[in-house]
Amino acid sequence: MIDGQTLTLRVADAVLVAPGLRRLHLVAADGARLPPAAPGAHITLTLPTGHNSYTLVSADPEAGYEMIVRRTLQSRGGSRYIHDTLATGDVIAATVPHNLFALHSQARKHLLIAGGIGVTPMLAFIAHLRRSPAPFKVPFELHQLAAPAETSVFEALLDARPGERVHVHAGEGYFDFTALLAAQPLGTHLYTCGPAGMMNAVEAAAAALGWPDSHVHREDFGASGGEPFTLRLAKSGIDIAVARDQTMLAAIEAAGVDAPSLCRGGACGVCMVPVLDGLPEHRDHYLTSDERASSRLVMPCVSRSRSATLVLDL
Amino acid sequence: MTAVPASNRPRYAPIAPDPRARAQLLVMDHDCPGDGAFAPGVNLADFPERWGIVAHALVLPEPLAGAGVKSFRSSAHLLALLAHRLAAETMGLRLYVVGSEPFVWDVARVATEAGMGRDEMQLFAMGRPVRRVSCVHCRHINPGVTTTLVTCAGCGVTLTVRDHFSRAHNTWMGVQCDAEAPGELPAVEDLIA
Repeated sequence: MIDGQTLTLRVADAVLVAPGLRRLHLVAADGARLPPAAPGAHITLTLPTGHNSYTLVSADPEAGYEMIVRRTLQSRGGSRYIHDTLATGDVIAATVPHNLFALHSQARKHLLIAGGIGVTPMLAFIAHLRRSPAPFKVPFELHQLAAPAETSVFEALLDARPGERVHVHAGEGYFDFTALLAAQPLGTHLYTCGPAGMMNAVEAAAAALGWPDSHVHREDFGASGGEPFTLRLAKSGIDIAVARDQTMLAAIEAAGVDAPSLCRGGACGVCMVPVLDGLPEHRDHYLTSDERASSRLVMPCVSRSRSATLVLDL
Repeated sequence: MTAVPASNRPRYAPIAPDPRARAQLLVMDHDCPGDGAFAPGVNLADFPERWGIVAHALVLPEPLAGAGVKSFRSSAHLLALLAHRLAAETMGLRLYVVGSEPFVWDVARVATEAGMGRDEMQLFAMGRPVRRVSCVHCRHINPGVTTTLVTCAGCGVTLTVRDHFSRAHNTWMGVQCDAEAPGELPAVEDLIA
Protein backbone atom coordinates (compact mmCIF):
# COMPACT_ATOMS: atom_id res chain seq x y z
CA MET A 1 0.00 0.00 0.00
CA ILE A 2 1.24 3.47 -0.77
CA ASP A 3 0.28 6.10 1.78
CA GLY A 4 -1.93 9.00 0.97
CA GLN A 5 -4.57 9.92 -1.49
CA THR A 6 -4.52 8.45 -4.98
CA LEU A 7 -4.82 10.44 -8.20
CA THR A 8 -6.06 9.14 -11.52
CA LEU A 9 -3.98 10.72 -14.26
CA ARG A 10 -4.25 10.69 -18.02
CA VAL A 11 -1.23 10.94 -20.30
CA ALA A 12 -1.87 14.15 -22.25
CA ASP A 13 1.39 14.01 -24.11
CA ALA A 14 4.50 11.83 -24.19
CA VAL A 15 7.37 13.05 -26.34
CA LEU A 16 10.95 11.98 -26.76
CA VAL A 17 13.00 15.09 -25.89
CA ALA A 18 16.33 13.35 -26.59
CA PRO A 19 17.42 9.76 -27.16
CA GLY A 20 16.34 7.85 -24.04
CA LEU A 21 14.60 10.83 -22.40
CA ARG A 22 10.83 10.97 -22.52
CA ARG A 23 8.78 13.87 -21.21
CA LEU A 24 5.35 12.96 -19.85
CA HIS A 25 2.60 15.49 -19.44
CA LEU A 26 -0.05 14.20 -17.07
CA VAL A 27 -3.45 15.73 -16.34
CA ALA A 28 -6.32 14.65 -14.09
CA ALA A 29 -8.35 11.97 -15.89
CA ASP A 30 -11.61 13.72 -14.89
CA GLY A 31 -10.31 17.16 -15.88
CA ALA A 32 -10.33 18.43 -12.27
CA ARG A 33 -7.62 20.54 -10.69
CA LEU A 34 -4.59 18.64 -9.46
CA PRO A 35 -3.04 19.24 -6.03
CA PRO A 36 -0.28 21.88 -6.23
CA ALA A 37 3.31 20.90 -5.48
CA ALA A 38 6.38 22.89 -4.49
CA PRO A 39 9.55 22.42 -6.57
CA GLY A 40 11.38 19.21 -5.66
CA ALA A 41 8.18 17.19 -5.16
CA HIS A 42 7.67 13.71 -6.63
CA ILE A 43 4.74 11.42 -7.32
CA THR A 44 4.70 7.64 -7.35
CA LEU A 45 3.12 6.02 -10.38
CA THR A 46 1.46 2.63 -10.19
CA LEU A 47 2.54 0.87 -13.39
CA PRO A 48 1.92 -2.76 -14.40
CA THR A 49 5.63 -3.32 -13.58
CA GLY A 50 5.33 -1.96 -10.01
CA HIS A 51 5.58 1.41 -8.27
CA ASN A 52 8.02 4.05 -9.53
CA SER A 53 8.63 7.53 -8.13
CA TYR A 54 9.44 10.43 -10.43
CA THR A 55 10.25 14.06 -9.69
CA LEU A 56 7.86 16.65 -11.07
CA VAL A 57 9.63 19.01 -13.45
CA SER A 58 6.60 21.26 -13.31
CA ALA A 59 3.38 21.03 -11.33
CA ASP A 60 0.47 23.29 -12.05
CA PRO A 61 -3.06 22.52 -10.82
CA GLU A 62 -4.55 23.59 -14.18
CA ALA A 63 -1.86 22.65 -16.69
CA GLY A 64 -0.94 19.36 -15.03
CA TYR A 65 2.28 17.63 -14.05
CA GLU A 66 5.38 17.13 -16.16
CA MET A 67 8.17 14.63 -15.65
CA ILE A 68 11.17 13.48 -17.66
CA VAL A 69 11.96 9.77 -17.55
CA ARG A 70 15.21 8.21 -18.68
CA ARG A 71 15.10 4.75 -20.20
CA THR A 72 17.47 2.66 -18.08
CA LEU A 73 18.74 -0.82 -18.81
CA GLN A 74 19.10 -2.00 -15.21
CA SER A 75 15.71 -0.71 -14.17
CA ARG A 76 12.93 -2.67 -12.56
CA GLY A 77 10.94 -2.20 -15.73
CA GLY A 78 9.17 1.09 -14.95
CA SER A 79 11.18 3.29 -17.28
CA ARG A 80 11.05 0.69 -20.06
CA TYR A 81 7.26 0.53 -19.73
CA ILE A 82 7.01 4.34 -19.89
CA HIS A 83 9.23 4.45 -22.99
CA ASP A 84 7.96 1.45 -24.90
CA THR A 85 4.33 0.92 -23.93
CA LEU A 86 2.76 3.98 -22.32
CA ALA A 87 0.87 6.08 -24.88
CA THR A 88 -1.06 9.34 -25.01
CA GLY A 89 -4.54 8.82 -23.55
CA ASP A 90 -3.50 6.05 -21.15
CA VAL A 91 -4.77 6.36 -17.58
CA ILE A 92 -2.49 5.61 -14.63
CA ALA A 93 -2.85 5.79 -10.84
CA ALA A 94 -0.46 7.95 -8.87
CA THR A 95 0.03 9.29 -5.36
CA VAL A 96 -0.51 12.94 -4.56
CA PRO A 97 2.79 14.88 -4.68
CA HIS A 98 5.15 14.62 -1.72
CA ASN A 99 8.21 16.76 -1.25
CA LEU A 100 11.37 15.47 0.45
CA PHE A 101 13.72 17.75 -1.50
CA ALA A 102 12.41 21.27 -0.99
CA LEU A 103 14.36 24.50 -1.38
CA HIS A 104 15.32 25.87 2.04
CA SER A 105 13.44 29.09 2.80
CA GLN A 106 16.29 30.67 4.78
CA ALA A 107 18.99 30.08 2.17
CA ARG A 108 21.02 33.06 0.95
CA LYS A 109 22.12 31.14 -2.12
CA HIS A 110 21.16 27.82 -3.71
CA LEU A 111 23.97 25.70 -5.12
CA LEU A 112 22.62 22.94 -7.35
CA ILE A 113 24.76 20.00 -8.51
CA ALA A 114 23.16 17.37 -10.73
CA GLY A 115 24.39 14.36 -12.61
CA GLY A 116 22.56 13.05 -15.69
CA ILE A 117 18.81 12.67 -15.21
CA GLY A 118 19.27 14.17 -11.71
CA VAL A 119 18.52 17.36 -13.63
CA THR A 120 14.76 16.87 -13.09
CA PRO A 121 14.39 18.48 -9.62
CA MET A 122 16.85 21.19 -10.71
CA LEU A 123 14.54 22.09 -13.61
CA ALA A 124 11.72 22.56 -11.10
CA PHE A 125 14.01 24.57 -8.81
CA ILE A 126 15.31 26.97 -11.44
CA ALA A 127 11.85 27.52 -12.93
CA HIS A 128 10.69 28.53 -9.44
CA LEU A 129 13.76 30.68 -8.73
CA ARG A 130 13.44 32.46 -12.08
CA ARG A 131 9.78 33.27 -11.30
CA SER A 132 10.42 34.68 -7.80
CA PRO A 133 9.76 38.42 -7.60
CA ALA A 134 12.76 40.70 -7.06
CA PRO A 135 12.70 41.29 -3.29
CA PHE A 136 12.59 37.52 -2.67
CA LYS A 137 15.01 36.49 -5.40
CA VAL A 138 17.70 34.18 -4.07
CA PRO A 139 20.76 33.71 -6.29
CA PHE A 140 21.50 30.24 -7.57
CA GLU A 141 24.35 28.46 -9.28
CA LEU A 142 23.83 25.21 -11.14
CA HIS A 143 26.38 22.64 -12.24
CA GLN A 144 25.14 19.81 -14.43
CA LEU A 145 27.41 16.84 -15.11
CA ALA A 146 26.63 14.96 -18.29
CA ALA A 147 28.10 12.33 -20.55
CA PRO A 148 30.09 14.12 -23.29
CA ALA A 149 27.58 13.05 -25.94
CA GLU A 150 24.68 14.50 -23.95
CA THR A 151 25.91 17.98 -23.01
CA SER A 152 23.82 19.64 -25.71
CA VAL A 153 20.70 17.84 -24.45
CA PHE A 154 21.16 19.25 -20.95
CA GLU A 155 22.08 22.70 -22.24
CA ALA A 156 18.79 22.75 -24.13
CA LEU A 157 16.80 21.54 -21.09
CA LEU A 158 18.37 24.08 -18.73
CA ASP A 159 18.15 26.92 -21.25
CA ALA A 160 20.51 29.30 -19.39
CA ARG A 161 19.49 32.94 -19.42
CA PRO A 162 22.04 35.72 -19.81
CA GLY A 163 23.87 36.35 -16.54
CA GLU A 164 22.82 33.07 -14.95
CA ARG A 165 25.38 30.72 -13.48
CA VAL A 166 24.31 27.57 -15.25
CA HIS A 167 27.14 25.27 -16.31
CA VAL A 168 27.05 21.93 -18.12
CA HIS A 169 30.21 19.88 -17.63
CA ALA A 170 31.17 16.89 -19.74
CA GLY A 171 31.98 14.00 -17.39
CA GLU A 172 32.40 13.85 -13.63
CA GLY A 173 36.17 13.41 -13.70
CA TYR A 174 36.75 16.96 -14.90
CA PHE A 175 35.02 18.58 -11.99
CA ASP A 176 36.54 19.68 -8.68
CA PHE A 177 33.75 19.79 -6.08
CA THR A 178 36.14 20.98 -3.35
CA ALA A 179 37.13 24.14 -5.22
CA LEU A 180 33.47 24.93 -5.92
CA LEU A 181 32.27 24.28 -2.37
CA ALA A 182 35.18 26.17 -0.77
CA ALA A 183 34.10 29.35 -2.54
CA GLN A 184 30.50 29.44 -1.30
CA PRO A 185 29.33 32.30 0.94
CA LEU A 186 27.75 31.79 4.36
CA GLY A 187 24.10 30.78 4.12
CA THR A 188 24.52 28.67 0.98
CA HIS A 189 22.38 25.54 0.74
CA LEU A 190 23.58 22.68 -1.43
CA TYR A 191 21.27 20.34 -3.34
CA THR A 192 22.54 17.30 -5.20
CA CYS A 193 20.78 14.72 -7.30
CA GLY A 194 22.41 12.16 -9.54
CA PRO A 195 24.34 8.90 -9.39
CA ALA A 196 25.14 7.78 -5.81
CA GLY A 197 28.89 7.99 -6.45
CA MET A 198 28.65 11.62 -7.52
CA MET A 199 26.41 12.58 -4.59
CA ASN A 200 28.73 10.81 -2.13
CA ALA A 201 31.68 12.75 -3.55
CA VAL A 202 29.78 16.03 -3.21
CA GLU A 203 28.73 15.22 0.36
CA ALA A 204 32.25 14.16 1.31
CA ALA A 205 33.72 17.38 -0.11
CA ALA A 206 31.13 19.44 1.80
CA ALA A 207 31.77 17.57 5.06
CA ALA A 208 35.55 17.97 4.69
CA LEU A 209 35.06 21.73 4.34
CA GLY A 210 32.94 21.87 7.48
CA TRP A 211 29.51 22.37 5.89
CA PRO A 212 26.82 21.55 8.48
CA ASP A 213 24.55 18.64 7.49
CA SER A 214 21.53 20.95 7.62
CA HIS A 215 22.82 22.78 4.54
CA VAL A 216 23.37 19.69 2.38
CA HIS A 217 20.36 18.08 0.68
CA ARG A 218 20.29 15.07 -1.63
CA GLU A 219 17.73 13.14 -3.62
CA ASP A 220 18.37 9.54 -4.59
CA PHE A 221 16.90 7.80 -7.58
CA GLY A 222 16.20 4.80 -5.39
CA ALA A 223 17.55 1.32 -5.31
CA SER A 224 19.88 -0.42 -7.62
CA GLY A 225 20.36 -4.15 -7.38
CA GLY A 226 22.63 -6.41 -5.37
CA GLU A 227 23.09 -10.03 -4.33
CA PRO A 228 19.88 -12.07 -4.01
CA PHE A 229 18.81 -13.06 -0.48
CA THR A 230 15.89 -14.54 1.42
CA LEU A 231 13.44 -12.38 3.34
CA ARG A 232 11.53 -14.00 6.22
CA LEU A 233 8.42 -12.13 7.32
CA ALA A 234 7.91 -13.23 10.94
CA LYS A 235 4.30 -12.06 11.42
CA SER A 236 3.09 -13.29 8.04
CA GLY A 237 5.11 -16.49 8.45
CA ILE A 238 6.43 -16.55 4.88
CA ASP A 239 9.80 -16.64 3.14
CA ILE A 240 10.32 -14.50 0.04
CA ALA A 241 13.24 -14.61 -2.36
CA VAL A 242 14.54 -11.12 -3.23
CA ALA A 243 16.02 -11.21 -6.71
CA ARG A 244 19.17 -9.43 -7.87
CA ASP A 245 17.26 -6.61 -9.57
CA GLN A 246 14.36 -6.40 -7.13
CA THR A 247 13.92 -4.28 -4.00
CA MET A 248 12.81 -5.77 -0.70
CA LEU A 249 9.73 -3.58 -0.82
CA ALA A 250 8.80 -4.77 -4.31
CA ALA A 251 9.30 -8.39 -3.20
CA ILE A 252 7.07 -7.84 -0.15
CA GLU A 253 4.39 -6.24 -2.32
CA ALA A 254 4.65 -9.01 -4.90
CA ALA A 255 4.01 -11.51 -2.10
CA GLY A 256 0.76 -9.70 -1.29
CA VAL A 257 1.84 -8.39 2.13
CA ASP A 258 0.63 -4.89 3.01
CA ALA A 259 3.63 -2.63 3.67
CA PRO A 260 3.28 1.16 3.92
CA SER A 261 5.63 3.18 1.73
CA LEU A 262 5.92 6.64 0.29
CA CYS A 263 9.02 7.94 -1.48
CA ARG A 264 10.60 4.58 -2.39
CA GLY A 265 13.96 6.31 -2.32
CA GLY A 266 15.16 5.87 1.26
CA ALA A 267 14.32 9.41 2.29
CA CYS A 268 10.93 9.59 4.00
CA GLY A 269 11.06 6.79 6.59
CA VAL A 270 7.48 5.60 6.04
CA CYS A 271 8.43 2.04 5.03
CA MET A 272 10.77 1.49 8.01
CA VAL A 273 10.49 -2.04 9.45
CA PRO A 274 12.03 -3.62 12.60
CA VAL A 275 14.67 -6.27 11.91
CA LEU A 276 14.45 -9.38 14.09
CA ASP A 277 17.48 -11.22 12.77
CA GLY A 278 20.15 -10.86 10.11
CA LEU A 279 22.37 -7.98 9.06
CA PRO A 280 20.85 -5.29 6.83
CA GLU A 281 22.88 -3.39 4.24
CA HIS A 282 21.65 0.17 4.72
CA ARG A 283 21.28 2.30 1.61
CA ASP A 284 18.80 4.87 2.90
CA HIS A 285 19.35 8.45 4.07
CA TYR A 286 16.82 8.38 6.87
CA LEU A 287 18.29 6.33 9.71
CA THR A 288 20.92 7.89 11.97
CA SER A 289 24.37 6.31 12.14
CA ASP A 290 23.49 4.86 15.56
CA GLU A 291 20.31 3.29 14.18
CA ARG A 292 22.26 1.80 11.28
CA ALA A 293 24.86 0.34 13.60
CA SER A 294 22.18 -1.24 15.81
CA SER A 295 20.82 -3.21 12.78
CA ARG A 296 17.36 -3.16 14.35
CA LEU A 297 15.58 -1.13 11.69
CA VAL A 298 15.69 -1.22 7.91
CA MET A 299 14.14 0.69 5.02
CA PRO A 300 13.03 -2.00 2.57
CA CYS A 301 12.58 0.42 -0.36
CA VAL A 302 16.33 0.74 -0.97
CA SER A 303 18.28 -1.35 1.55
CA ARG A 304 19.33 -4.97 1.12
CA SER A 305 20.82 -7.71 3.28
CA ARG A 306 24.41 -8.67 4.06
CA SER A 307 23.28 -11.96 5.57
CA ALA A 308 21.74 -14.73 3.41
CA THR A 309 18.48 -14.34 5.34
CA LEU A 310 16.92 -11.23 6.82
CA VAL A 311 14.02 -11.61 9.27
CA LEU A 312 11.57 -8.70 9.46
CA ASP A 313 8.77 -8.01 11.95
CA LEU A 314 6.13 -7.82 9.24
CA MET B 1 -2.35 25.70 43.38
CA THR B 2 0.29 28.07 42.07
CA ALA B 3 0.53 28.15 38.31
CA VAL B 4 4.11 27.86 37.08
CA PRO B 5 4.52 30.63 34.50
CA ALA B 6 5.59 29.48 31.05
CA SER B 7 9.18 30.27 30.17
CA ASN B 8 11.13 30.31 26.94
CA ARG B 9 14.36 31.24 28.72
CA PRO B 10 17.37 30.24 26.59
CA ARG B 11 19.51 27.43 27.92
CA TYR B 12 23.21 27.43 27.20
CA ALA B 13 25.57 24.48 26.92
CA PRO B 14 29.29 24.95 27.59
CA ILE B 15 31.28 25.68 24.42
CA ALA B 16 32.93 22.71 22.70
CA PRO B 17 34.65 23.25 19.34
CA ASP B 18 33.07 21.39 16.42
CA PRO B 19 35.77 19.01 15.12
CA ARG B 20 34.24 19.12 11.63
CA ALA B 21 34.58 22.89 11.21
CA ARG B 22 36.93 24.34 8.61
CA ALA B 23 37.51 27.47 10.70
CA GLN B 24 36.58 28.58 14.22
CA LEU B 25 36.08 32.04 15.66
CA LEU B 26 35.60 32.70 19.37
CA VAL B 27 34.02 36.02 20.28
CA MET B 28 33.93 37.29 23.87
CA ASP B 29 32.84 40.51 25.54
CA HIS B 30 35.75 40.41 27.96
CA ASP B 31 39.33 39.26 28.01
CA CYS B 32 39.16 35.88 29.64
CA PRO B 33 35.93 33.96 30.17
CA GLY B 34 35.30 32.62 33.64
CA ASP B 35 34.89 29.01 34.67
CA GLY B 36 32.06 27.02 33.16
CA ALA B 37 32.04 28.63 29.72
CA PHE B 38 33.92 25.73 28.16
CA ALA B 39 33.22 22.01 28.13
CA PRO B 40 35.68 19.86 30.14
CA GLY B 41 39.08 19.67 28.45
CA VAL B 42 38.46 22.75 26.30
CA ASN B 43 40.36 25.98 26.88
CA LEU B 44 41.23 29.24 25.17
CA ALA B 45 44.18 27.70 23.35
CA ASP B 46 41.71 25.58 21.33
CA PHE B 47 40.63 28.79 19.58
CA PRO B 48 43.51 30.29 17.64
CA GLU B 49 41.25 33.07 16.42
CA ARG B 50 39.71 35.06 19.28
CA TRP B 51 37.99 38.40 19.30
CA GLY B 52 37.53 40.17 22.62
CA ILE B 53 36.64 43.55 24.03
CA VAL B 54 39.19 45.59 25.96
CA ALA B 55 37.38 48.80 26.77
CA HIS B 56 40.40 51.06 26.63
CA ALA B 57 41.38 54.00 24.47
CA LEU B 58 44.77 52.42 23.84
CA VAL B 59 43.12 49.78 21.65
CA LEU B 60 43.85 51.04 18.18
CA PRO B 61 42.18 50.02 14.94
CA GLU B 62 44.22 47.40 13.12
CA PRO B 63 43.91 45.59 9.80
CA LEU B 64 41.59 42.58 9.85
CA ALA B 65 43.87 40.19 7.99
CA GLY B 66 44.71 36.75 9.35
CA ALA B 67 43.76 34.69 12.38
CA GLY B 68 44.93 35.55 15.86
CA VAL B 69 43.80 37.40 18.95
CA LYS B 70 42.13 40.75 18.31
CA SER B 71 40.91 43.38 20.73
CA PHE B 72 38.16 45.91 20.27
CA ARG B 73 37.23 49.05 22.15
CA SER B 74 33.54 48.26 22.48
CA SER B 75 30.90 45.76 21.48
CA ALA B 76 29.68 48.21 18.82
CA HIS B 77 33.21 48.24 17.37
CA LEU B 78 33.39 44.45 17.46
CA LEU B 79 29.93 43.89 15.96
CA ALA B 80 30.60 46.26 13.06
CA LEU B 81 33.81 44.49 12.12
CA LEU B 82 32.22 41.06 12.63
CA ALA B 83 29.52 41.91 10.08
CA HIS B 84 32.24 43.04 7.69
CA ARG B 85 34.26 39.86 8.29
CA LEU B 86 31.27 37.48 7.88
CA ALA B 87 30.20 39.12 4.61
CA ALA B 88 33.45 37.84 3.09
CA GLU B 89 33.41 34.44 4.86
CA THR B 90 32.70 31.10 3.17
CA MET B 91 30.83 27.99 4.38
CA GLY B 92 32.48 25.88 7.07
CA LEU B 93 32.96 28.54 9.78
CA ARG B 94 31.75 27.96 13.34
CA LEU B 95 31.16 30.87 15.65
CA TYR B 96 31.44 30.57 19.46
CA VAL B 97 30.18 33.40 21.62
CA VAL B 98 30.78 33.90 25.34
CA GLY B 99 29.63 36.88 27.35
CA SER B 100 26.69 38.68 28.85
CA GLU B 101 23.32 37.66 27.46
CA PRO B 102 22.64 40.90 25.52
CA PHE B 103 26.09 40.71 23.92
CA VAL B 104 25.77 37.03 23.01
CA TRP B 105 22.47 37.61 21.22
CA ASP B 106 23.77 40.75 19.50
CA VAL B 107 26.52 38.59 18.00
CA ALA B 108 23.94 35.91 17.09
CA ARG B 109 21.93 38.56 15.23
CA VAL B 110 24.95 39.69 13.20
CA ALA B 111 25.75 36.05 12.37
CA THR B 112 22.14 35.30 11.39
CA GLU B 113 22.04 38.37 9.17
CA ALA B 114 25.21 37.07 7.50
CA GLY B 115 23.38 33.79 6.70
CA MET B 116 24.62 31.55 9.52
CA GLY B 117 22.22 29.02 11.03
CA ARG B 118 21.87 28.04 14.68
CA ASP B 119 23.87 24.84 14.08
CA GLU B 120 26.83 26.98 12.98
CA MET B 121 27.08 28.90 16.25
CA GLN B 122 27.33 28.09 19.94
CA LEU B 123 26.25 30.67 22.49
CA PHE B 124 27.10 30.80 26.18
CA ALA B 125 25.72 33.60 28.34
CA MET B 126 27.39 34.06 31.69
CA GLY B 127 27.71 36.41 34.60
CA ARG B 128 25.11 38.19 36.69
CA PRO B 129 21.87 38.59 34.68
CA VAL B 130 21.77 41.97 32.95
CA ARG B 131 18.71 42.19 30.74
CA ARG B 132 17.32 44.45 28.11
CA VAL B 133 13.67 44.80 29.00
CA SER B 134 11.16 45.84 26.38
CA CYS B 135 8.06 47.63 27.68
CA VAL B 136 4.99 46.09 26.05
CA HIS B 137 3.06 49.33 26.65
CA CYS B 138 5.36 51.94 25.08
CA ARG B 139 7.95 49.79 23.21
CA HIS B 140 10.82 51.47 25.04
CA ILE B 141 13.82 49.21 25.59
CA ASN B 142 15.35 49.53 29.05
CA PRO B 143 18.95 48.30 29.06
CA GLY B 144 20.95 46.97 31.99
CA VAL B 145 18.08 45.67 34.12
CA THR B 146 19.22 43.50 37.06
CA THR B 147 16.08 43.43 39.21
CA THR B 148 12.62 41.85 38.97
CA LEU B 149 10.93 45.26 38.89
CA VAL B 150 12.05 48.27 36.91
CA THR B 151 10.58 51.68 36.17
CA CYS B 152 10.19 52.07 32.41
CA ALA B 153 12.26 55.00 31.19
CA GLY B 154 9.77 55.43 28.35
CA CYS B 155 6.37 55.67 30.07
CA GLY B 156 7.17 55.58 33.77
CA VAL B 157 5.14 52.49 34.75
CA THR B 158 6.66 49.87 36.99
CA LEU B 159 7.42 46.82 34.88
CA THR B 160 7.75 43.29 36.08
CA VAL B 161 10.29 41.34 34.02
CA ARG B 162 8.50 38.30 32.63
CA ASP B 163 10.37 35.08 31.97
CA HIS B 164 9.90 35.57 28.24
CA PHE B 165 12.84 36.26 25.93
CA SER B 166 12.64 37.46 22.33
CA ARG B 167 15.53 35.95 20.37
CA ALA B 168 14.69 38.21 17.44
CA HIS B 169 14.75 41.45 19.44
CA ASN B 170 17.20 40.37 22.13
CA THR B 171 14.89 41.69 24.85
CA TRP B 172 12.91 40.34 27.79
CA MET B 173 9.25 41.19 28.14
CA GLY B 174 8.30 43.87 30.65
CA VAL B 175 4.63 44.22 31.70
CA GLN B 176 3.08 46.77 34.06
CA CYS B 177 3.20 45.24 37.52
CA ASP B 178 0.33 47.03 39.24
CA ALA B 179 -2.19 47.23 36.43
CA GLU B 180 -4.87 45.33 38.41
CA ALA B 181 -4.29 47.03 41.75
CA PRO B 182 -2.52 50.39 41.25
CA GLY B 183 0.26 50.96 43.75
CA GLU B 184 0.41 47.36 44.96
CA LEU B 185 3.97 46.26 44.25
CA PRO B 186 5.77 43.16 45.40
CA ALA B 187 9.25 43.41 46.88
CA VAL B 188 12.05 44.05 44.40
CA GLU B 189 14.52 41.19 44.03
CA ASP B 190 17.64 40.58 42.01
CA LEU B 191 17.10 38.68 38.76
CA ILE B 192 18.52 35.18 38.85
CA ALA B 193 20.12 33.44 35.90
